[in-house]
Parts: sequence; structure tokens; C-alpha cells
Amino acid sequence: MKEEVYRADGLGYSYGGRVALREICFTVRSGESLAVLGANGSGKSTLLKILNGLIFPKTGKVEFMGAPLTEESLSGEFLKCFRERVGFVFPEPDVQLFCPTVYDELAFGPLQLGVPDSEIKKRVDELLEMLGISNLSGRAPYTLSGGEKKKVAIASVLSVDPDVLLLDEPTNGLDPRTQVWFFELLQSLKVINKTFIMCTHDLSLVEDLASRAVVLDESHRVVFDGPALDVLKDKDLLLRANIIHEHTHRHGGITHIHSHGPYSTHDEHD
Amino acid sequence: MAQMTLPGWFKEARGAPCAAGGRSAQRSFVEKNLARFNSFTKEVLEPEEYSKKRGLLQWITPKARIAGIFFMIAAAGLSTNAYALSGAVFLTALLTAFSGVGFSALAKRVWPAVVFTLVIISPVFFSFFTPGERLFGVSAGPFEAAVTREGVLSGLFFVTRAASMVSLAALLLLTTGQTEFFRGLAGLPVPRFFVTALYMMFRYVFILLKVAEDANLALKSRTAGRARIKESQQWFSSRAAMILRKSLNAAEEVSMAMASRGFDGKIKTLRGPGLAVRDYIWLAGALFILFLSFGLSS
Repeated sequence: MKEEVYRADGLGYSYGGRVALREICFTVRSGESLAVLGANGSGKSTLLKILNGLIFPKTGKVEFMGAPLTEESLSGEFLKCFRERVGFVFPEPDVQLFCPTVYDELAFGPLQLGVPDSEIKKRVDELLEMLGISNLSGRAPYTLSGGEKKKVAIASVLSVDPDVLLLDEPTNGLDPRTQVWFFELLQSLKVINKTFIMCTHDLSLVEDLASRAVVLDESHRVVFDGPALDVLKDKDLLLRANIIHEHTHRHGGITHIHSHGPYSTHDEHD
Repeated sequence: MAQMTLPGWFKEARGAPCAAGGRSAQRSFVEKNLARFNSFTKEVLEPEEYSKKRGLLQWITPKARIAGIFFMIAAAGLSTNAYALSGAVFLTALLTAFSGVGFSALAKRVWPAVVFTLVIISPVFFSFFTPGERLFGVSAGPFEAAVTREGVLSGLFFVTRAASMVSLAALLLLTTGQTEFFRGLAGLPVPRFFVTALYMMFRYVFILLKVAEDANLALKSRTAGRARIKESQQWFSSRAAMILRKSLNAAEEVSMAMASRGFDGKIKTLRGPGLAVRDYIWLAGALFILFLSFGLSS
């Protein structure tokens, strides 16, 4: 069996009096691609921040490769090791891009982690080339388009060469071509056994890339944990968790009732 | 899906199409000032135009450039001799010309400091502060406000010294991109805390500006006509707390994004190339000017 990367046991988190997560339990193994599905405000982003050691659970515990992930434990060598192994792509690229140029952005992570300069230069040049963004190298991130920003944000995380990628709404705001680019990139990374945990509404992403799915409902609890394809077939669950909704409309003389969401099927007819 | 019941006013047709617009509306007080401040900040903090040019200062390694300019600023600040100060002004002019920097661009950055210094030291020009040979003035009974020759000389000396120091600092910022600046600063024996604080300030100024601009655009999209200055000022002051709060939230997200990529409070930058012969010559020259200023002062 593959090595356990994360273990969440009874995680709970709240912002003041507003609950974001309740009794979350799951494990993630190396090489797995896990999709965390849920409606807006269900606690997906909070969960990813906890898994990235940016905030810490109020109740329960989370372990990374068998070691507790707490404010106290995240220091010194463990912190360095953790940051080298886990990369986080934020939903809003503007938040993630804070360096003066794209080149500096890609070099930032490895630099902070003490990677030698010659290795950083090699990594940055090769990543720029691989992702087809060499032409952006000297540009200031705030001058880029939305799709370019997202590419740079992903590249800035990949330059650290993490084993685990946490992706928060990775396809939000991407045009179709950039979405295809992104799917191809993740497929390539999947082949080399990288672990993904992605929060998304995009069910096409789940179908194409996730091997497993965890669904959070609006009470901030896990209501499903199993194979990704199973959750896509469970329409009732998706409706209950507010990931898809149903509506009625007409095509010519035929009235449809169909589920509606980013991944919709005309599956029921009147 | 069941249809929503819309309120009556929502269903009323608008009627005639919008009449063609007249002359273009002027920008509001807030919009104008935000735009000015934004462009000024970007120009000052990210001087792409001159930092990418080929010129004397750009030829010097950033670390040496920063150190050399610092020595010269110190020399200008310490000089009590008019000849030494004139030399500093002349040198600044030479550096500006040989670095391909426009004098107008430099003046744009220097004049606010000159005006500010003039205001601060204005009492020096008068006899009640600097007694001496009366040039002109007014008197009312026992009270007299006269400008003296000695006061003018002292004031001008002080303003020239300030202008010279600010010009050198502005020249450094104009010829050094943000990355180069931090790389150079990190290579010098400057406290890490200072470099980090400065770096974070650069980032957060942009966040604050973006939030303020977005708030103003949101207002503009929902209002018609031009607000009076007083209304704009009231709106801006009432939203200042909201803008600050939003920018603090954004800043918190940015700091999370930095922590996520291994940032531990110490800025690390790619090591630039080592010092070349030209850098040593430049540094020796700058140090010589500093020592010369000591000599001329005594």
C-alpha cells in the first residue's frame, strides 16, 4: 500500500462564531488525486489552508507523513521539509504573485528553501520553457492577463518541485485553451506520481483527473469519501451538497428537467 | 425550475433609448487623486524606463551602486563648505547625464523635497532667526520681519544640500529596478529586518492602491454625474476603514502565500554577479568624495 501523506482526524475550524469545518476525517496516500467538492462556503478553502499549515484546526488533528501538523511542530527542519514537499496554488493569482518579475516569482520559493542559485536558475529556465511562458520572464506579474497569471502562479509552485499539490479552484476564470493546458499539465504530473488535492466546483476536472472525491455539504461535514466516478453518478448527493442544481427549460416542443452545474447532463425529460 | 416572482417596478420598460452623451464627464476628486498617486507610486517604485537603459550607473553592480550612492549622500550631508556642496551638485548632474536619465524626470522627484525643505527652514531667512545685513522686509512698530543676506545664504545652502541628497537617492531609484534594489540591499551589511520591512511595504502599498481603485470603480459604476469635491471627500473618508480592512485581508492572504512557499521572514534573493573592477573603482571614487568632504569641512 502506498505511503500515507495526510491524515485528518476530527478536524474542526471556525472563524469567530462562524463554523467552517466540522469533524472532518480522511486520509490521502501518495500519488492519489483527491477532489474536494462542496458548495461555496462549505469550508473547502479552509481545509486546504489547514493542509498547507497556514492555519491550524481548532479541534481534531492533522498529520503529514505521520508527523503532527501544528503551529509548534511547523518550525526548523520540519517546516523546511514540509514546504519543500507541499505546494499550494491559491485561487486568486494576484494574491500569490508578489515579486517584481515573473522570473523572480518562480525563483522565490526555491530561494527561500535554500536551493543553490545554479539549480534555481536551471529550474526557472526549464519551467518557463516547459510551460511556454519564457516570453513573460521579465514582465511584472500585475501586467499579465488572468490566464497568464494563473500559469505563473502554478509555475511559481512547481519550481519548488513539491510532491503534493494543493489546488484551490484551479480552473476558475480560465479560458478554454488555458483549461486544456492546465489539464494536460496535471495529467503529466499525475504520471510522475505527484499527489493532488484540489478543491473545485468543476466536475469535469473531477472526471478527468481525480481518482477519489471527498464531498463537503453545507453543514461543513464530509458526506462522501470514495471513488470520484461514483460521486459523479450520485446525482442526489450532488444536489444535496449544492454542487449541481436542477432546472426546467424547453428545447423546441420538449420540456427538460435536468441537473445543472459546471458538469451537466440532459438526463431527464418530461 | 420555478420562476421567481419579480416586483412590479422591475418589469416596467424603460421607454425611450438613452440620449447621446454630451461632453465627457470630468473625473472625480477621488478618481483623479487615486490615479495620480497610483501612477506616481508605480513610477517611483518600478522605474522600468531608466533602469533598463545602458548608462554609467546601470553599468555598476547594484550592490556597489547602492553603497557608492550612500557614500555620496553622506558626503553631501556632511559638507559644510559651499565648494564641496557645489561639487556634489555637479557630480550628481554628471551622473544623471551619463546614466541616460532625463533631468525633468529627476526634477519631478526632487522638487517636492525642495519645497518641503524650504517651508521647514523658512524662518532661517529672517532677521529674528539669522541676524545680519538687511536685504528687504516689512516693519510694524517694534516688530520687523526682514530677510537678511546671511539668512538667504544659510537657507540656500541648506536647500541645496537637501536637493543634492534627494537627487542622489532619486537617481539610485531611477536607475535600479525593484529586484536589483533588493538584491543589492540584501548583499550589503544591512539588517535583515530592515530589508524585509521595506520589501513588505512595497508589496502592501500596491495592494492598498488596488483595493482603493476597485472601491472607486465600484462606486463609479453605480453613480451618475460628477460628485462634488466635498461629497467625494466624505465618501472616501467614510470608506477609508473599509479599504484598510480589505487591504489588510488581502495582505494576510499574500503573507500566507509567501509562507506557503517557504518565506520565514528573511528575504532571500538570487546572488548577483560578484564585484567587477569597475565596481571597485566606483566605490573607491565614492569613498574618496566622502573623505574629501571631511577634509573640506575642516
